Order: sequence, then structure tokens, then C-alpha cells
Amino acid sequence: MHSDTREIQQRLWEKRKDNLRRAWYKFSGNYLSIVGLVIVLIVILLAIFAPWVSPYPEHRGAFVDFSKSMEPPSSEHLLGTDAVGRDILTRVIFGFRFSLMMGFVVIGLAAPPGIVAGLVAGYFRDTWVDTLIMRITDVFLAVPPLILAMAITAVLPPNVFYAMLAVTLMWWPWYARLVYGIASSLQNEFFVQAAQVTGASTPYIIFKEILPNSVSAIFTKMTLDVGIVIIIAASLSFVGLGAQPPTPDLGTMVSDGAKYMPDQWWMTVCPALAIVFTVLGFNLLGDGLRDMLAVEEV
Amino acid sequence: MFKKNWFLLLLVTVMLTGFVFGCGPGEYEDDVAPAPDEDPVDVSVDGPVYLRKTFSWPTQIDPAIGSDFSSSTALTNLYDTLVYPNPDGSFVPHLAASWDISDDDLSYTFYLTEGVLFHDGSELTAEDVVFSYERLQAVGEGFAYIFKGRISAVEALDDYTVEFRMEEPFGPFLSTLTRLYIVNKDLVMDNLGDGPHGDYGDYGTGFLNDNDAGSGAYMVKEFDVATQLTMEKFDEYFSYLDPMAPDIFEMIGTTEAATVRTGMMRREVDISDQWQTLEAFRSLEEIEGIDVARWPDGGQLYLMMNTQIPPLDCVHARRAMSYAFNYDSLVQDIYPGTEQAMGPVSSVLPGWNPNVYQYSYDLEKAEEEMALSQYAGQWDQYPIEYAWTAEVADLEKIALMTQAESQKVGLPVEIVSTPWMTMIDQAGSIETTPHIMSIWVSPHYGEAGSILEAKYHSSNAGTWEQTEWLLNDQVDQLIEEAMRTVDREERFGIYMQIQEEIVELAPTIFAYDNMERHAYQSYYINWPQAQDPIPVMGYNLAARFIQVDPVKRAELLGN
Repeated sequence: MHSDTREIQQRLWEKRKDNLRRAWYKFSGNYLSIVGLVIVLIVILLAIFAPWVSPYPEHRGAFVDFSKSMEPPSSEHLLGTDAVGRDILTRVIFGFRFSLMMGFVVIGLAAPPGIVAGLVAGYFRDTWVDTLIMRITDVFLAVPPLILAMAITAVLPPNVFYAMLAVTLMWWPWYARLVYGIASSLQNEFFVQAAQVTGASTPYIIFKEILPNSVSAIFTKMTLDVGIVIIIAASLSFVGLGAQPPTPDLGTMVSDGAKYMPDQWWMTVCPALAIVFTVLGFNLLGDGLRDMLAVEEV
Repeated sequence: MFKKNWFLLLLVTVMLTGFVFGCGPGEYEDDVAPAPDEDPVDVSVDGPVYLRKTFSWPTQIDPAIGSDFSSSTALTNLYDTLVYPNPDGSFVPHLAASWDISDDDLSYTFYLTEGVLFHDGSELTAEDVVFSYERLQAVGEGFAYIFKGRISAVEALDDYTVEFRMEEPFGPFLSTLTRLYIVNKDLVMDNLGDGPHGDYGDYGTGFLNDNDAGSGAYMVKEFDVATQLTMEKFDEYFSYLDPMAPDIFEMIGTTEAATVRTGMMRREVDISDQWQTLEAFRSLEEIEGIDVARWPDGGQLYLMMNTQIPPLDCVHARRAMSYAFNYDSLVQDIYPGTEQAMGPVSSVLPGWNPNVYQYSYDLEKAEEEMALSQYAGQWDQYPIEYAWTAEVADLEKIALMTQAESQKVGLPVEIVSTPWMTMIDQAGSIETTPHIMSIWVSPHYGEAGSILEAKYHSSNAGTWEQTEWLLNDQVDQLIEEAMRTVDREERFGIYMQIQEEIVELAPTIFAYDNMERHAYQSYYINWPQAQDPIPVMGYNLAARFIQVDPVKRAELLGN
């Protein structure tokens, strides 16, 4: 008996490993996905180890050295220095921290309520619950996201916390929409009906039967969304509603540098390229995951 | 999927390459020479002659409301005043041809220049002067505070004679008249809207918000309140109007560096705003035909400390901030060619006290002051919020520098980039005023009393010129006493005493004596005020004295 269980576990493990290997095979077939994965890993590692890998870690905070201001890229400062003499490479690396935090926190906060709302509305499709939830979602979706976030941050004091709150508020409806589509088609499947017949409770059906079957779509969307959230966060910072100086933030750096275009181009171009690099990484990775998990809805 | 990704990657690469190489230094100038199929630059010498200058916006053209730099400039061009200021701070007759002063200094009788026409063709009379004064006081914004509580009555004795009676002697009265703009009474009365002033409705504030009712050398042609003010020459102007003065004077609401620079290269912007960075002025100066005019404007950059909220309600904390400010770096690295301010009054302004104590950059003294403060040892609990004007890049440098220096002695400063409009709002109450705001303030008339009253008298607290909220009775009394003193020497003596008093209280970090800088097309523009500036804000941009040569402009564009 005991050995049987172990054998079954062993076999399950083999099967899982086999699945993983197959998924990886599919994923690595498109080597742009690998490029995306590598970029994302590089960015995450740089952000985590910023104080050790950046050349002038003290330049992340309150620091000025006017004798070195606005130096073009050189061996001493690979991406040049800004208006008060801070190393731009250092600030870009620390800027990844803010961008990633924004991406992860916003998606982490926006996804759960969106998913729950979508599941409930989808399961109770064509009832008043569906109508209520989805019309509220529509209202949020009808307002252009950046405008809504700007309106929110304009009313509240400009800082990181409110910027995140604003982006979160405008982001959950997309998850509700996505999950609603999946849930409303799954609710007619036999395994859901079977669960209903055997007397399973509604929460059980929603979270144990329907949710696991939506995970791959949700996961893919989350990966793709990180890039978009980073862009929105940078836009908010660009108009002065995001991170406040001296916190290094890519959007703020682009905006500050723009005042010195075109002569001191490195102050704008370098952080702008860093944003492109990060977002490109997340998008390529998301595309790869979508292909691998054969998700169609996203 | 595979193909699509490749295409995307290729597209991004191409875009980035174009972006990076399109903006390399040194190549920019070549790019600007307009190719034939580009937006054509107007090179014709026929048609109206334009003068275009950039400003920080908004601009308010109602003489009872506007008071900042761009508003003063517009008002000076649209309206006239009884007297006109000179470069040395004195004044000459303008709308008033002459005047008498009673022996007790309580009554001024002005004899108006006859035949002055408003833009609608009607004649300017004593009634209009009376109306303008009453309207300014009723609306109560802008420069109204200068006269508030000082004048008991203004009366038209006949069509061309008007008498101002004082509550008590008002020393700088004639200087302050450079801020009483005369409006066309009949025109305003024909355009009243609903409002709180009884028979006078809104006193024409709705109408004058985007129209003018003046007699000035220029009149409003078009006013897009959010972006641009276009004024055209008034040919029947009563006073000097240079034959080469521009036909159209356009005030453009942008300070964005790339826009200003491109505009100046294409000779579409003739004079830049003063808010460009040092680097921007340097590169503008390198363009053929462009020079930078610099002059002390009688104002200063003030880092105003809200004296009513902790920890800056403690004088030692304020002195510590004053010692922790790196004046040397400011005048060497950020504003080369300027000097550290000495007390609250600029050294070019009549009435300045040259013997007042000057704070220096001294972190040891800062720490000594911190130790004396009631907040000693608990600075961490009182973060100091420092707001800088988001539109002005140089102010961020100063903010970052202040933060870095204060951190060395353990004063926690948090810097917040704040749009100018928001700063004006924030200044409205003690609670919303941040601990520190960095703002340039210039005198409204040419003597020390103008700055001292605007910056430190309680009646002006809560405007963008005074976010210190000093509310100090002794200072108030001294200022009032100075204002009552008609004898110039005696008045200046009191000004000096006030300056010492204020330096002692340290409500402000007196950063540097401001040099106004404007890049302008010196090849085709003769700008006499730039050589011999008038120390009253706005008057150096009276377009009627500025000569624009369209032939020379075309020459530059033809090259």
C-alpha cells in the first residue's frame, strides 16, 4: 500500500517533469521568448542588487556635485551625468526598482479583485449579479486609463503610494473582463455540471473548478500587463504625478532630461531606452508564455 | 507569431536608431534649416511686423487681478498709468501732465494730459481715473493691496483734474501710481456681468478677463487664455510710439526649452522667457544673431519658510536652514555672474541696507543653531517639505542641493515638484503652505518698501509673494511707519531698520539678487530697456520702445 502511493507519486512527478520539459521545449522554440526571459531576469537582478552593481550607489539619493554636471557618456560615467552631476547609469539601475515595484504591486493588487468579480459574474451569467458587476466594469473601462489615473493623482498629493492606487483602480476591470469570458463559457462544461449535481457549494465550484482552468490565461495577461503598467507609471511620473525626487525613477528622468534636449540628449535617451528595454522584455516573455500555454483569450 | 515578433523588434530598433542619431549634439543646427517641403518660415518683409516672446503662463490681463511677470508685461502694454517710471527709480509725467501736493501731504491733485484716447476712440477723463481706483479696490486683487487703507477718497474735480486724498501721509505714493492702470469706465459699464458689487455687478471682471479697456500702445487682438495673447499696435497712442515698434506683439505661454530654442532658430520667437536654464541660455547665445540681455531686476530668489508650522516656527530652525544653504555653489554653479543676496532687499533697489548681517554657508553654525532649538534631537519627526516650481528646471537643482546640504546636518528635507498654479493655491492658507517654497519676487515699484511690504506685512500674507506668514506686529508697525513717512531719507532709514529686524527673524533664505536673463534676436531687434532697465516689473517689455527690423530678419533667414 505504502509503496503503491510512492509509485503513484513517482509517476505523477515523472509526468509533471515531462510536462515541464514539453512546455520548455515549446517556449524555447521561439527564441525571442528566451530573449524576453533573459531581459526580465537581468532587470530583476539589477534591481535587487542595485546597491552592489551600480557604480555610484550614493547618487540614488540627495546628492549634488555641480563640478561633474551634464557630462556626456564616458568611461567614468557610462551613460553620462545629469544636471546636478549624478551618474545616470546608477539612477537607471535604481529606477528599475521603482518600475518593477510599480508593475508587480499594481498587478498584484488589481488582479485578485478583478478575478473574483469576473468569476462571480461569469458563473452567474445572465442574472442581475452579472449585469451589476459587468456594468460597473464597463464604466471603468469607458474612461481612458491614463486620464483616470491623472485625475486621481491630481486630487491626491503626488507620491508613489497614490500613483499605485490610481493605476490599480483603473486596472482591475481588465481582469474582470478576461475572467468573465472564461468563466461564462466554462459554467456550461460537464465538470461544472457534475460538481453542481454532486452538491458542491458555489464557492467551491467557482474557486476549485473554474478558477484553476483560467489560471494560464490570467498568468499570461499578468506578464504582458507588467510592461504596460510600467509605461503608465512612467507617464504619470513624466507629468510629475509619480515618484518624487530624489527617488530615481525612469519616467521622471525622461521628463527632467527633456528640459535639456537636444544638447544633453543622454539625460533623456538613456532612461527612455531603459523603459523600452524593460517593457520589451516583459512583452516578449508574455508572448512566449501565451504560445506555450496555448491561451487564446488574452 | 514568430514573424510578427521579428517585425516588432526590427521596428523598435529602427525607431531607436533614428532617435539616438537624430539628436546627436552639433547636428541639430543643420536639421533646422527648413527643407523646401517643410513648414515654410515666413521670410516676407511685407505685412505686419511681429514681436514674439515666450512667458510662463497664465497671464491675467485684468488690471485689478494680474500682478505676476507676464501679467505686468501685458498690462504695461495695454494700459497707461498717471506717471511712468525711469531707469533710476524716479518717474516722469505720463497720463498726468503735472500735479500739486498739499502742504500736509494728504492731498495730491493731478492735471491730466488732454486728448488721450482709449482704444474705442473715446477720451480718457478724470472720471475714468476715479472709476479705475474704485474698481481696483472693490475687486481687491492684483496690486490693490498697495493702496489699501491709505486713500480716503478719489474725486474728479473737472474733466481733467483728479484729486487723491490720503488717510495719512503715504511716502511712496507717486511711485506706486505706476501700478494704477486706467480703464475705460463707459466700456466696462456697458459690459457688466452678474456679481457681488451691487449696481456694478461683477465690475467687468468677466469682460476684462479676455478683453482690454485701455489706452495703451497695444490693444488685445486675440486672447487664448490658456496659451497665447496677441496684441496689435494702437496707432492713435497719445505718447511716444517708435516708428519701428512691432505691429503685433505676441505673448506665448511656453517655457519648454526645445520649443523656445527651435522657435528662436527659426526666428519665430524674438525674445525668450527668463526661465531657461544656464545651459539653454549658453546654447541660445551661440546661435547667430542672438544675444542674452542680463540685468538686475531688483528682485531676489527667496526660499520662503512657513514660520507658523513646526519645526520652522522656531527661529533657530530657520537660522539653521539659512546657514545650511550653499550660497557659494548657487552663485558659482547654478547662476554664475550673480551675487548672494544681502538681506531681504536686492542691492540695486533704492533703500537697500548694505550693512545688514549676511548668512553664509556654514554647517557648524547650522548645527549650533539646531542645538539651541526646541526641536533639538527630534528633527526626524519633522520632515521639511520643500516645494519647487515644476516649470523651472534650475529650481530643481537648488532643491536637490538644499536637500543634500540639509541632510549633512540632519535636517530631513523632502522636495516636491509643484506646478506654479498649484503653488499659488497652496499659498492661500497656513495649513496648505509647504515648509519651504522657492519663488522669485520683484518689486512692484522702485524702492525697498515695495518688497518689504509685499513680503513681510501681514496684510499680504498668503499670497505667492509671502508664504512665510510672518504675522509679526513689530514688523507690521515699522512698515506702516515707513509708508507714512514722506521724507525720502527718513523713510529709507526705517527701511534699513526693517531689514535688520527681518534678518534677525530669518523667515526667508535670501538666495541671490536676481539677474533677469532674456535671449533676444539682437541682429534685428533694438531693445533700449535691455541696456538701461527700469526696476519695475513688466516695464522693460513695453513694446512701443522696441525696434524690430523685418529686413534684417529676412536677411538672417535667407542665409
